[in-house]
Amino acid sequence: MTQRPGPNSVSAHVDNGEDVPDSGTSGASVSRRLTEEEFDRYSRQMIVPGVGKDGQLRLINSRVLIIGAGGLGCPAAQYIAGAGVGTIGIVDGDVVEVSNLHRQVGHAASRIGMKKVDSLITHLRGLNTLPTYVPYTFHINPQNAADIISRYDLVMDCTDNPATRYLISDICVLLCKPLVSAASVQKSGQLIVLNCPPTPQGRLDRQYAPCYRCCFKKPPPPSSMLSCGEAGIMGPVVGMMGVAQAGEAIKILISALHIPSQDHSIPLERNLAQPTLLVYTYELENAVGPYSFRALKMAGRKKNCFACGENSTLTLEGIQSGTPNYEQFCSLPSPNFTLPPDERITASAYHGARNRGEIPNHLLLDTREKEHFSFGSIDGAVNVPFGKLLTKAAAIKREGGAASDILPPVEESDVAEDTPIFVVCRRGLDSQEAVEKLKELGVNNGGKRRIVDIVGGMKAWKDEVDPAFPWV
Amino acid sequence: MTSKPPKGHFNILYFARAGSFTTKNVEALPAPLPLSKLFATLEERYQGIKETVLDNSLVTVNLNYVDMPGGEDGETGDEEIVIQEGDEVAIIPPLPWKCVM
Repeated sequence: MTQRPGPNSVSAHVDNGEDVPDSGTSGASVSRRLTEEEFDRYSRQMIVPGVGKDGQLRLINSRVLIIGAGGLGCPAAQYIAGAGVGTIGIVDGDVVEVSNLHRQVGHAASRIGMKKVDSLITHLRGLNTLPTYVPYTFHINPQNAADIISRYDLVMDCTDNPATRYLISDICVLLCKPLVSAASVQKSGQLIVLNCPPTPQGRLDRQYAPCYRCCFKKPPPPSSMLSCGEAGIMGPVVGMMGVAQAGEAIKILISALHIPSQDHSIPLERNLAQPTLLVYTYELENAVGPYSFRALKMAGRKKNCFACGENSTLTLEGIQSGTPNYEQFCSLPSPNFTLPPDERITASAYHGARNRGEIPNHLLLDTREKEHFSFGSIDGAVNVPFGKLLTKAAAIKREGGAASDILPPVEESDVAEDTPIFVVCRRGLDSQEAVEKLKELGVNNGGKRRIVDIVGGMKAWKDEVDPAFPWV
Repeated sequence: MTSKPPKGHFNILYFARAGSFTTKNVEALPAPLPLSKLFATLEERYQGIKETVLDNSLVTVNLNYVDMPGGEDGETGDEEIVIQEGDEVAIIPPLPWKCVM
């Protein structure tokens, strides 16, 4: 049986008269009695060694900003709210869609179409009514980021795009806020605590914590050869990272690590905490593949870091007026080339030509990932995933071998040296690159064979030819 | 977990996008190899990997972050490190990468 204190015994248990250190930027002394509801609600975590009344009061007096109310933000917010963080801001401009629900556990089928922030706060209020929830139902951007972030003690990056990730890290450096950053795609997750304890920009007199740019100096290039099929995400993978993210945030707040390093009352040794990048991977291709966690020891603040290093020119005013340009820095890839018109055909024209018997003998290569292909394909299409095609092309270049090896095995009698090849992908970018690669390898047999891209990929096929096609 | 590399080799782990690019999660490469030669060795095997993956990834040796030598801005890295037999190297691209289309 658990002993519960009655109303009259609360003060004896919880008011020991100690001075609780200021929780940081949110001001005011935090020493007070816990209410009976707080005492009941948080008792199971308060009795854990290292938490206690002081730790709980630090949580109650903290302000946490969660940027992103999706696959990371939902599980993270549940535990932040559950633990009793006093003020919880949530930023997201999106609305709930049915395709979110397999991983975004703070939303519900009944709230599809609602702003994610409002939906998540509805869920959180169901868990804990004590925190103050602050909705920001728009996306964070260089103009509003500093104003929002300045109102909080700790920031959690639960976003899903590189430009925002650099923006949030930069603002956290400039405003001296600790940043708990997590990310997840497909079957991989990462988690790292950045800028904690927070240290003013440019300070390098001893080892300090890194910022996002110290770890990842630049984003993947715009022209990177990413296959269209590479998107997708597993619920438990992103969920695990969001939960771990909440765990780190709670730890920081309870330990008062979010107080900036310029505060000389803070003991020096806490600056020596080793920054660690947690990497989670999960194997699906091989049925017996194990999951793995790796904790990687990261380096500290970099002397020449663009954001926090010694000659940094980064300022809040600059960011607000467009310097640096985050969108450009992480610019979305634009196709490097567009094939000439005679090497392209629209989906409807291809369909028409097939129906009229104008291309009786041809090869149709579908370069989507096999998962996409598994939902459906054009009759006669052969799946050659783009990644595999590139790997094979590189191997042929390196080691020699017949260029035709890159083509799927087909009946010799069906294929002459002038049999045309049509290439289709998910949305029409990879297929153009595939056409280029095949020509480069000489698969066009010196021009005797046409290699043609189907414009706009299977998306165009769905739009122009077969509205019922199961395109993902 | 990852099996031990054969004699005279080290293991290299390819995370996330690095795994998509190489179509493998792990492989054994001949050791010793100076860290400064790592990217060139991989580029030889996987044409285009340096620009699209390696230059924006972080690298660890035996779970410790290493500063890659020969950065474009002339900064020095861990030039003296030589990857030894039995070491575990990891290529860790940033997440998320945005899907293009």
